[in-house]
Amino acid sequence: MKNATFRALARLIDLVLQYRVMVVSAIVGFTCVMGYLAAQIEVKTVFSDLLPRNHPYVEVNNRFKQTFGGSNMVSIMLEVEQGDVFNMTVLKKVQQITQALQKVEGVDTYQIASLASKKMKEVRASTEGIESRPLMWPGLPKDAGEIATLREAVLNNPLVYGPYVSIDMRATLITADFIDGAVDYVKAYKQIEEIADAARGDGVLVRVVGEPILYGLVNHYLGETLQIFMVTVGALVVLLLLITRTWHGTLLPLITGLVSAIWALGAAKLMHFHLDPLVIVVAFLITAQAISNSVQLVSRFDDEVAAGATSAGAAARAALLNLFKPGMLAIVADAGCVLVVALTPIPMLEKISYIGTVWILSIMLSAMVLTPVLLSWCGVRKRYAHPVNVYPLLQRILGLCAAVVTSKLRFAVVIGATVAFAVSGLYAFKLKVGDANPGSPILWPDSTYNKDATAINQKFQGSDRMFVVVQGKKEGALKEPSVLEGMERFQKYMEAQPEVGGSISLADILPAVKRVVREGNARYQELGGSADENGELVYMFVSGADPGDMDRFADPQAKNGAVTLFFRDHQGETIRTAIARVKEYVAAHKLEDAEFLLAGGLVGVLAAVNEVILAGQIESIAFALLVLVACCMFTYRSTVAGMFFMVPVLLSNTLTFSYMAWKGIGMNINTLPVVALGIGLGVDYSFYIVDGIREELHHHKDVGRAIVKSISTSGKGVLITALTLVTSVVLWSFSSLRLQADMGVLIAIWLFISAASALFLMPAMVYVFRPEFIVGSKRHPIEQAVAAEPIQAT
Amino acid sequence: MLKAINKLGKGARAITSVGTSSLPVAIIGGLLYAAFFVKAEPSAGELKARPLERRDAFYGVVAPGGATLWAAGSNGKIVRSEDGGQTWGVQDSPVATHLQSISAWDAQRAVAVGNRGLVVVTEDGGKTWKEVKVPHSEVANKLLQVHTYADGVAWAVGELGAVLKSADYGATWTRALDEKDQAWNDIAFVGQAGWLVGEFGQILRSTDGGQSWAAVPSPVKTSLMSVSFRDALHGVAVGLAGTVLVTSDGGASWKDVPPPTREHLNCVIWDGAGWVAVGDKGIRVSAGPEADTWKASRISDQDLSWHTQIVKTADDYVLAGANLALLHQDGLRILGRD
Repeated sequence: MKNATFRALARLIDLVLQYRVMVVSAIVGFTCVMGYLAAQIEVKTVFSDLLPRNHPYVEVNNRFKQTFGGSNMVSIMLEVEQGDVFNMTVLKKVQQITQALQKVEGVDTYQIASLASKKMKEVRASTEGIESRPLMWPGLPKDAGEIATLREAVLNNPLVYGPYVSIDMRATLITADFIDGAVDYVKAYKQIEEIADAARGDGVLVRVVGEPILYGLVNHYLGETLQIFMVTVGALVVLLLLITRTWHGTLLPLITGLVSAIWALGAAKLMHFHLDPLVIVVAFLITAQAISNSVQLVSRFDDEVAAGATSAGAAARAALLNLFKPGMLAIVADAGCVLVVALTPIPMLEKISYIGTVWILSIMLSAMVLTPVLLSWCGVRKRYAHPVNVYPLLQRILGLCAAVVTSKLRFAVVIGATVAFAVSGLYAFKLKVGDANPGSPILWPDSTYNKDATAINQKFQGSDRMFVVVQGKKEGALKEPSVLEGMERFQKYMEAQPEVGGSISLADILPAVKRVVREGNARYQELGGSADENGELVYMFVSGADPGDMDRFADPQAKNGAVTLFFRDHQGETIRTAIARVKEYVAAHKLEDAEFLLAGGLVGVLAAVNEVILAGQIESIAFALLVLVACCMFTYRSTVAGMFFMVPVLLSNTLTFSYMAWKGIGMNINTLPVVALGIGLGVDYSFYIVDGIREELHHHKDVGRAIVKSISTSGKGVLITALTLVTSVVLWSFSSLRLQADMGVLIAIWLFISAASALFLMPAMVYVFRPEFIVGSKRHPIEQAVAAEPIQAT
Repeated sequence: MLKAINKLGKGARAITSVGTSSLPVAIIGGLLYAAFFVKAEPSAGELKARPLERRDAFYGVVAPGGATLWAAGSNGKIVRSEDGGQTWGVQDSPVATHLQSISAWDAQRAVAVGNRGLVVVTEDGGKTWKEVKVPHSEVANKLLQVHTYADGVAWAVGELGAVLKSADYGATWTRALDEKDQAWNDIAFVGQAGWLVGEFGQILRSTDGGQSWAAVPSPVKTSLMSVSFRDALHGVAVGLAGTVLVTSDGGASWKDVPPPTREHLNCVIWDGAGWVAVGDKGIRVSAGPEADTWKASRISDQDLSWHTQIVKTADDYVLAGANLALLHQDGLRILGRD
C-alpha cells in the first residue's frame, strides 16, 4: 500500500478504536433492531418465484393454467395388493379421499378428478339420445351388480380406463389441482398426508406425489434443516476452539457471522422478501465468508501479539491496517459477483442475489470494524482455553506449502492446475441442465416420495403434465376437422417419445362420442367429417355435463384448446427433447385455423426454467469475472492483476461443474442459487495470500522470502477457516433432503479449491510469472515502507 | 537468461503485456457471447417413430400366405411383416384417411378401402400404393370391408348401400347394387354363392356370383357386422350386442343363437376346426363346426381392447383393432409395445 494511503487509513482506524464503546453500542443497537425484523421473516416456498419472468412458456402457463391445469397438481394413487380396484373397500376410500380433498386449503374444487368425482362421466346412447352421467357420483355402487356395471363403464371409457384406472385395474388415481398463489404448501402437505394416512390399510397402498407435496416435504424437514444448521455451527465452535485455543479466536468469528446474518435477514424483511427453505444452505455459504474474514483478522492479531505488540489495541490496529485492502477487495468482489446473479430473470434468484449482496456487504462492518474493535479489548497475555495444540501440525502443512511453491515443484503446481483446468473444463460440458435423474433431485432416490413417484409413473401415463395450447384464429376453430386432425397427429407424433406416457385433447373425446352415437361401432371411433358434425359431438358431450367439465379440453367458444401431454419424468433431457420435438412438428405442420403455443403445466414451466438457467449461469460467470477484473484493476492498477485472480475463480467453477456432472447433480432451479452464488467464491483466500506477499515486498525485495512469510501468516488464517468450514459443512450430508447434502458437498469443494489455490497455486504463480503488480519492475519498483513506521501504542 | 529475454527488446515485452492485458477481456467477452448467442438446441431428429405406434388403430389385417402379414388402419397407415408379425415396416401410403379393410390376392397384389370411398391398390407388394377411382355417392361413402377372390375379383361394401365390384385386381370398380340409406358391413362368397350383411339385421343372398341379390328374412334387427361360410351351406353371421346367426342351408334361412355375450361382435371366421368371433373389450366367442353351442371368454385378462378382425395363419391368430396382436396357443402378445 502506498505510504500516503496507509497513513490516512491508520488515522481512520485510530479514530474507530478511540471511540470503540460508541462504535460497539451503535452496532449492538442496530443489530437489535435488525434482529427484531429478522425474527419475523417468513420461511416458505413460492413456486411462481421459481419461474422466469417474461418467458413465453410462463406467459402461456399463466394465461391458461386456470382452465388447462397448472403446475400444482397432486396425484394420489390407491393400489390394491390383491384383486382389482373394483371392490367396495377401494371405491369407498376413493370417495372419502375425493370428498376430503374438497376441504384442503388452496385446492381448486372444480379440478378434483377421480372415479368418485362428478366430472368423471360415462357417455352412452339410449333411446332418448345421448346421456352422460357421473360414473360414481353422488353415491357408491350398492351391490355386486352395480360394481360390475361401473367396471364395464370404466373399461369402455378411454378417458378413465388408462388415465384414472390403470390398465391392469390394480390401481386408481385421484388428482387435485391447486390454485397458484393460494396454495400453502405446508398446510396442503399436512392435510393431504392426513387424508392419505386415513385411507391406508385394508390391503390398499396409498401413494402421493406432486409439487405441493414435494415443497410441503421440504418445509416439513425445516426443523431438521435448522437442527443441522445449529449442529454445524456447534461443530464450527468446537473446531475453532480446538485450533485457535483461545476464546476470542472462537467467538469473534462467530459473532461476525451472526451479526451479518441478522442484518441480512432483517434487510430481507425490510425488502419484503421471504426465505426459501431450500436456500438455507446459501446462508451457510455467506456466513463462511464472514467467518473467513474475521479469522484472518484474529489470526493476524495473534501474530502481532506474538511479535511483541505492546497492547491489544496496537495489535488490533496493525492487524486491520495490514488486512484492510485484501479484506475489502474480497468483500467488494464477492458482493459484486453475487449482485450480478440478479440479472438472471428468475424472481427467486433476484431476491437471493439482493439478500446475498447486503449480507456480504455487511461483513465490512461485522468483520472489518467489529472484530478489530472487540479484539482491542482482549488481553495480550496468552491464555489458552485447552492444552491440545494443533499449531505444530498447521505449521507443518504451511511449511509444506512454502517448500513446494519455492522449489522446482512450483512448475509442477502450475502445470498441474492448467491440466486440471483443461480436463475439468471439458468434463464440465457433461453437466446436465435440468434434473439429471428421474424423481425429484431434492430428495434421496430411496425416499418415500421418489419411490411413490416411480410407482405411479409405472402404473399410469405419467404424473407430470405439459399442456400445449391450440389457439384458434376464430371462434369454433377447434371444431374444424383440419384442426382436430392436426391435434391428433401432433399427439401421435409426441407419443413416439418413450418418456411421454400419453396425451389427451378434444381430438380424443370426440371420436369416443361418435362411437357411442354410432351404436358403439369401433369403426366409427373417429373425428367428425365436418365442423358441424364435430360441433354436434361437442354438444352431445357437454349436454347434461356440468359447466366447466369441458374446460380442460377447450373453452366454450371452441377457440382455444389444449393438448395435455403426460410425462413419466421431468429430467432435463426429457423436457428438452419434448420441446424440440414440439417445435419441429409445429414448424413443419402449420394449421390453417389455429396455432400451437408452448407450453404450460409443470413440464412447460420447467422447460422455461431450463432454457433460462444455462444462459443465465454463463452470463453470471461472465459478469462476475468482469466485476472481479474491475475490482482488481482498480486496486492494483493492473489488468494483469485481473487475469491473475481470474485463475482460481475459473478453476473453482470448472471443478464444481465437473463434480456436479460426475455425481449426476443437474443444474436446476434448486441447485442454481448455490451454484450461482458460488461463482465468486474461489478468490477470497487468494487475495489475502497475494496481498500478504505484496505487502511483505514493501519491506524487502526477496520474492521467495515474501512468499514464505505470507504463507505462514495469511496462510494460517486460510488454513484455519478452510479446515473448520469444510469439516462442519460435511454435516449437511446427513440431511434428509438430498439437495442440501449435495449443496453441502459443493460448498466444501468450493472452500477446498479456494484454500488450495490460495496456498499452492497463487504463490507458485507469483514465483513463476513474477507479475509486475506484485513484485514490481524496474520502471515501477515497489515502494519501500518508511522505516519509521513502528507499531504505535495507543 | 532473464536478461537475455529482456534484451530481446521492448517489442517482445510489449506483446506479452498486451497479451496478458487483453486476455481477461477476451475471456469475459467469450463467455458473454456464449451466454447470449449460443443456444443448446437438442436435435430431436434422433427419435424415430416405431412402425406400430400406441395411437394406431388397425381395422384390417390379412395373411396372404407364408409369414407375410399386411395391416391397414387409421390415418392411411399400411404396415407389412415378412416374419409372422415379429417386425413390421411402414409402407408409403398415398392417403391419410382411415383405412377400414385390407385384402390381398397374393403377396404382391392387394387392395385396401376406407373412409370417403377411398380405394388403394398395389401390384408390387406394397412398394407403391395408388388410389383408384370408384363410384361415389353424394351423401356418404365410407367403405367398411373389402374381400378378394380368384381371377382378380374384389368386393367392397360400405355406407349408403355401397356394394362395389372389381374384376381386374382393383383397377376399375362398378356399383353392383343401388344406393340405399343403410350400410352393408360385410360380404362373403363361396364359389357362386354370396352373402351380404348390414345394418338393421339386413341379409342379402346371391347364387350367381353376385349378378343378382335377393333379401333373406332376418331374425334380428340389430346390425350384423360380419359373415363367414365354411362351405356353400354352413355359415355364421355376427353383430352388435353379441348377436350370432347360424345357417346350414346356404343362407336361405338363419337361426338366432342365444347371445353368448352382450359385447359387440365385429368379425367371425372359420379357422378350419371351429368358428371364432372377436369384438369389443377383448371378447372372443367360439363354437364347434356345427355352431350350436357358443361360449364367450376374454382373450386375455390383460387386454380389453376392441378388435375388428381376426385372421388365422399357420400356427397363430392375428388380431386387428385398437392394436395389432398375435394369439398363439392362448398367449396374447400385443405388437409394438414393450
